[in-house]
Amino acid sequence: MNQNGRFSQVFNILFCAFMLAPIVVVMGVSLTPEGFLEFPPSGISLRWYQAILDNSDFIEAAWISLKLGIVAATVASVLAVPAALAIGQGKFKGREALQALFLSPLMVPTVVLGIAFLRFLSLFGLNGTFTGLVLCHAIIITPFILRLVLAAVVGLDRTVDRAAESLGASNWTIFRRITLPSILPGVIGGWVLAFITSFDELTVTVFIVNPATTTLPVRMFSHITQTTDPLVASVSALTVIFTIILMVAVDRMYGLDRLLIGEGKK
Amino acid sequence: MAFLEAHGLTKTYGETNAVDNLTFTVEKGSFVSLLGPSGCGKTTTLQMIAGFEDPTMGKIKLAGRDLSAIPARDRGLGIVFQSYALFMHMTVAENVAFGLEMRNVDKAERKRRVADALELVHLGHLANRYPRAMSGGQRQRVALARALVIEPELLLLDEPLSNLDAKLREEMQLELRRIQREAGVTTLMVTHDQSEALAMSDRVLVMEKGRLQQEDSPFEVYERPRTSFVSTFLGKSNNFEAELKSVTPTASQLLIAGRGLTGPSVNLKPGTVEVAVRPERIEIVDAADAVITGTVRERIFLGAQWMMNVATPLGDMLVIRRNAGRREAEIGDTVHLSWAPEHMRILPLNEVAA
Ligand SMILES: Nc1ncnc2c1ncn2[C@@H]1O[C@H](COP(=O)(O)OP(=O)(O)O)[C@@H](O)[C@H]1O
Ligand SMILES: [Mg+2]
Repeated sequence: MNQNGRFSQVFNILFCAFMLAPIVVVMGVSLTPEGFLEFPPSGISLRWYQAILDNSDFIEAAWISLKLGIVAATVASVLAVPAALAIGQGKFKGREALQALFLSPLMVPTVVLGIAFLRFLSLFGLNGTFTGLVLCHAIIITPFILRLVLAAVVGLDRTVDRAAESLGASNWTIFRRITLPSILPGVIGGWVLAFITSFDELTVTVFIVNPATTTLPVRMFSHITQTTDPLVASVSALTVIFTIILMVAVDRMYGLDRLLIGEGKK
Repeated sequence: MAFLEAHGLTKTYGETNAVDNLTFTVEKGSFVSLLGPSGCGKTTTLQMIAGFEDPTMGKIKLAGRDLSAIPARDRGLGIVFQSYALFMHMTVAENVAFGLEMRNVDKAERKRRVADALELVHLGHLANRYPRAMSGGQRQRVALARALVIEPELLLLDEPLSNLDAKLREEMQLELRRIQREAGVTTLMVTHDQSEALAMSDRVLVMEKGRLQQEDSPFEVYERPRTSFVSTFLGKSNNFEAELKSVTPTASQLLIAGRGLTGPSVNLKPGTVEVAVRPERIEIVDAADAVITGTVRERIFLGAQWMMNVATPLGDMLVIRRNAGRREAEIGDTVHLSWAPEHMRILPLNEVAA
């Protein structure tokens, strides 16, 4: 494992520190007994965690974000799986174009997307509705699922489909019994990544929520524009812990490196 | 009437004919090999029979009915793919049961037939393993059991042994033949390995560049190759040009390196021909009996045999001699070579000399 030079080891350590520092700071701040942001905390207290429970706005926003993430990631998966199969296995003209179309939300600046969605949803009277949020989030997160599922689809051996077909399986049966189980790790990995992205999304969402559909990131954003108490830190810390638990669970089930880097050869 | 019939089977990809006007038959219950070098169109032929490729031209009939309108999933053939194509997320038993599920065989009978099929390939004890945890030879047996359990009318094998190491390959040759005999299933196997084809088949179809070169029993294709390609592709052969002077129903007159020789009768017109002689049929004789004289270039001792390369006016000749426990000719020695007339195969001249 030591094929990296000293320089790149130092670089890696610095890089990890750089990535982890904000999380450590947020965790630290969230434990303060004081009424203002301080780091390191002068003591250890769960005061600001207690404060979350007394703040129904945050709890409600968290529920909305959770529901939104689950529904949007599921909708996006239902879109991305057939698209990945068509792009990865099809033999038609315009496959590249189709792929570019599905990945394009990654390339458009999110602020631009937000304004566009705002106009678009207004046209259909969906502005501020949960349906509207699901629609927009599904579009934003589809590329994440598509890329993981596509990687899984490209690794599929088509002769396995032929074997199933020669045994009498219909196309639908082949999909359900052979193809889907084979790409399932990719689909689940993509779903989780998409869920986290949706759960975390602020820039676009800010344009399209109303008070009844305010998501957690938007709630936190508007909170810190008014006050700067450690409440946002404790909410952030919980979000980070939630994300870590999710990642660990997926890692236990399927192996994160396999999902995010691609199928590792044994 | 033959069980499987292919008539003028042709598959064109762009400009090239991957399979070119192939006509052959397979008898019920027999084991037939499609033998040829890589890229000669064997897999394409098999895929057309399986129904995964549409023939550009020609017809395939199975038990008298035309297959062209029948999709692959309804042909009911057993297919073993070169890569085995197992369902990696299913256990061995689930793999084998898949075809029966598709046929709506009820659970009790399914279980019995899966057990029987696994017993046939000696894998009964591994029914609950996943293919990932199995060796190449075991995976191959799973693929075979999965194909046989649906009791196919025809079993298609695409290079079934090519992914196995040499020792296992020889074991599996016998094993595959046993299984085929016990199941009594008509089998068409594709292979590029001539010894495999000779060892396993009732009939061998030799293909080159999409065309059928010869169809015969293993002994006949080896002993009586009808083209230059077949003579060199199956086993080792010394091929050289000669003049065919005349032919009678019982014999032929040849001129080989300026020397007149009587050979077996042949269905060819007088002119330039190609003569093939197997290295093990060449003898070292006294000068007076020599057909050709040459110098030993190389000599290899193989235990049971000597292998020599002799430079002659006809070109380099490979000579294989049984080790009779005596001294053999050394490198640099002059040797006189001869062979019995019946061991010459007189073939139409090949444009590209082998
Ligand atoms: N799908 C295809 N498209 C174009 N050419 C093909 C295709 N499949 C096979 N070929 C060509 O047809 C020829 C025969 O191939 P194949 O049947 O696979 O040979 P074999 O199995 O004897 O090695 C080869 O020259 C190959 O390149
Ligand atoms: Mg092949």
